[in-house]
Amino acid sequence: MTPRSLLLVHPVTWTIWLGTTLLTVSLTRNPLYLLLLLFGLTLVAETERPTGRATPLDPIFFAVIAVSFGALFNAATIRYGDTVLVALPASWWLIGGPITLEAVVFGMINGLVLSALVAGFGAFGTAMPISALISLVPRAFYPLAVVMSVAVTYVPLTIRLAGQVREAQQLRGHQVRVWRDGLPLLLPLLIGGLERALQLAEAMAARGFAADPPSNQVRMMLVGGLAALFAGLLLQFAWGQVVAASLTMLIGTGLILWALRESGQQAPRTRYRLYRRGIRDMIVLLGAGLTLIAVLAPWPGRASLAYTPYPMLQLPIFEPLLALALMGLLMPVAVRLGDRYLP
Amino acid sequence: MIEFAQLSYRYPDQPQVCLDQVSLTLPAGSFTLVIGPSGSGKSTLLRCLNGLVPHFSGGEVAGSVRIAAYDPIALGPRVMSRHVGMVFQSPEAQFVLERVEDEIAFALEHAAVPREQLRIRVEEVLDLLDLAPLRDRLLTTLSGGERQRVAIAATLALQPEVLVLDEPTSQLDPQSADDVLQALVRLNHDLGLTIVLAEHRSERVLPIVDLVVALDRAGRVVSGPPREILATSPLCPPLVTVARAAGWQPLPLSVKEARPFATRQGLAQQDAIAVGKTGEAGRASATGPTRPPRPYLEIRGLEAGYGNTPVLRNLDLTIAAGEITLLMGRNGIGKSTLLKCMIGLLRPRRGEIRIAGRSIAGRDVAAISRELACLPQEPDSMLFADTVADELRTTLRNHRLPVNEALIDELLAQLGLSERRERYPRDLSIGERQRVALGAISITRPGGLLLDEPTRGLDYEAKAMLGGLLRQWSREGSAIIVVSHDVEFVAEIADRVLILGQGGLIADGPPWNVLGNSPLFAPQIARIFPGRGWLTASNALQGLQQK
Repeated sequence: MTPRSLLLVHPVTWTIWLGTTLLTVSLTRNPLYLLLLLFGLTLVAETERPTGRATPLDPIFFAVIAVSFGALFNAATIRYGDTVLVALPASWWLIGGPITLEAVVFGMINGLVLSALVAGFGAFGTAMPISALISLVPRAFYPLAVVMSVAVTYVPLTIRLAGQVREAQQLRGHQVRVWRDGLPLLLPLLIGGLERALQLAEAMAARGFAADPPSNQVRMMLVGGLAALFAGLLLQFAWGQVVAASLTMLIGTGLILWALRESGQQAPRTRYRLYRRGIRDMIVLLGAGLTLIAVLAPWPGRASLAYTPYPMLQLPIFEPLLALALMGLLMPVAVRLGDRYLP
Repeated sequence: MIEFAQLSYRYPDQPQVCLDQVSLTLPAGSFTLVIGPSGSGKSTLLRCLNGLVPHFSGGEVAGSVRIAAYDPIALGPRVMSRHVGMVFQSPEAQFVLERVEDEIAFALEHAAVPREQLRIRVEEVLDLLDLAPLRDRLLTTLSGGERQRVAIAATLALQPEVLVLDEPTSQLDPQSADDVLQALVRLNHDLGLTIVLAEHRSERVLPIVDLVVALDRAGRVVSGPPREILATSPLCPPLVTVARAAGWQPLPLSVKEARPFATRQGLAQQDAIAVGKTGEAGRASATGPTRPPRPYLEIRGLEAGYGNTPVLRNLDLTIAAGEITLLMGRNGIGKSTLLKCMIGLLRPRRGEIRIAGRSIAGRDVAAISRELACLPQEPDSMLFADTVADELRTTLRNHRLPVNEALIDELLAQLGLSERRERYPRDLSIGERQRVALGAISITRPGGLLLDEPTRGLDYEAKAMLGGLLRQWSREGSAIIVVSHDVEFVAEIADRVLILGQGGLIADGPPWNVLGNSPLFAPQIARIFPGRGWLTASNALQGLQQK
């Protein structure tokens, strides 16, 4: 028996899905595919969002901002492209010169790429409980993982505190007119945040949480490893001793890894939730695998991933098979919706 | 068994000791209440039990503490966390993860409890605190009481012998506070857990505790059975005040224990002639001669809500100048929504709000707050200046008003803060910080005041001071609206009580009518003397003298 988990697929499967998503978005400049990915990833986030949790950042709203900003910034700073929309006087500092349609579109594509990446991270963050993220971290880095989880838990608290401070300052007639007017908003937020951090530190100490001091042996290994790495770099770049340098750096890396392993073993932890792989993981991995093959394998449709609006704007190519393969990233939605039919 | 022997403690860089030669013994399995004015060292005393003092806070310690065979001062919080569990005031400030079940399991995972045991312990505490139906919920979606129960569960999972709670109900509404206290009683009775609890509002805790530890401002301590300590303590609830004055023995600590005394004196029966007389007389004498009510705030046909959820429907309300109106109702019913509408932070869907005869439609929050100032629940979110006086100056500057030092001095004197004028506001006690925030919103001399839960975390003394101040401003003509769950405070100061129900007002009238007849909101005195119109200790003492 394992405690009931709201995660339908294994954290490692989610991590592989995220890796595939980021790689796919990074390799795509075709705005049609990027739009498809953006909407698909937004759908994944929405289906994974637990009841009662607000969306921290709406990917579509973010996309509208990022695409608009990208278009404006690129239009104002890039002078390439054949289709001139308007020509600003060349004497205007920084923005003077022709504004081209191609530069606008290129900026919009940059915004779309950024938005799709944010949507991918957003879907991953929505789906993965913090405890599942911590379970992925090796034991040696456990204290660091807990610190990260505390930081993540603090985000909604800080947002709420910021709202409280803004309202409280409005109630005493505060209005932001110049940059210095931001202080009444910033200071209570900062001080309140520090006070909460201290309270949490005290509560965690009361619950027995404290990082274990590393043993002398671990310290020695860590220092030795770092010294060996440094010596290896010196050998490589100062004296050009490639073989000796590689060997020294290898020993250094080995010592550091060993120290981390020892450190992890000295701080035993148990895990409440054990995540098991099953048919749902298989479906998500197959979907991600299909997408990965489509964007990496050398086949004719892959060429449609690339797109540039320069020198003259043209419609991007749309390859239905590739678009279908990209939909492999939507398998978490299929798993969530079809969960009741799966064993 | 817990034993303090001549324990003294001084915080770093503080000239005076916080705890002065504290010696006391708390038996295993006992339920102990720690009382004392703000800043008397209640929290410090509790933190000595798990070694947070001095390990987390620093400072100088003399004397000793023993929890069974353990010495928290020598062992520190890490070791003591297995023996002493601690729950803090704000549940939010102690959570690390985001779901109920994961939060409870967190400390066990960290302590490397074997997985089989870990599962059993999580299930046990979920059942003990009635949290099983909430196990998969996000902590942010829980009510305050539910969150505090999760905090207790997370602490209990480590199976400590002693549970220490530092004002765990101070930020909760009465229903949530009752839920938490009932859970504690169950743990104490069923598991024999030793519980040490610090609490300002002792009226709801006294009936369930075995021992009381009372601290004074000099860090000295007296302890003993509740009746013994309450017989002389200045920090006592209205019921005990009346019982002491009437010479009831043995001293009753609950309404149930007090009723037979009232019956014996022939005061428990409903007496048609007596109903309301003393209460009304008392109120009339407190408010002075009757004035024709001049409406200050008028609300007509108000409808408001969030998204597709309507909260207030067709609400009509008039608040007169010189009147203290208390707004009550269960959590989530729309009290804050109503306040937000009044001060322009939320735009109503329909209806009109007029302040001093002028509609607030189209006016910004800053302009409205000059006529109707609002003290939010968290006064700390308002304070940022270097000195108390600067906080008041900032508000005047915000409103582009001349900085009038004489006006600042006068208001600080009214607030009892003249000596704190040049102090850093965040270094002050919670009651003082609240008065600074009150000064910061009222320096513009608005005709109306809104206060949202102003008694949270205040001791009896600070509450009395706040009540006196509001009475004075009301006499000077201010319209004052207070949102509060604190029925004893409401009974002391209100001219009128409103109870908000689903969608709108379900009760509106003088306190002795609304509170005296309410099974949920009746104060202690109204429950002991039903039907007499007595709500406060002074009402009852006056009535008893007449009798």
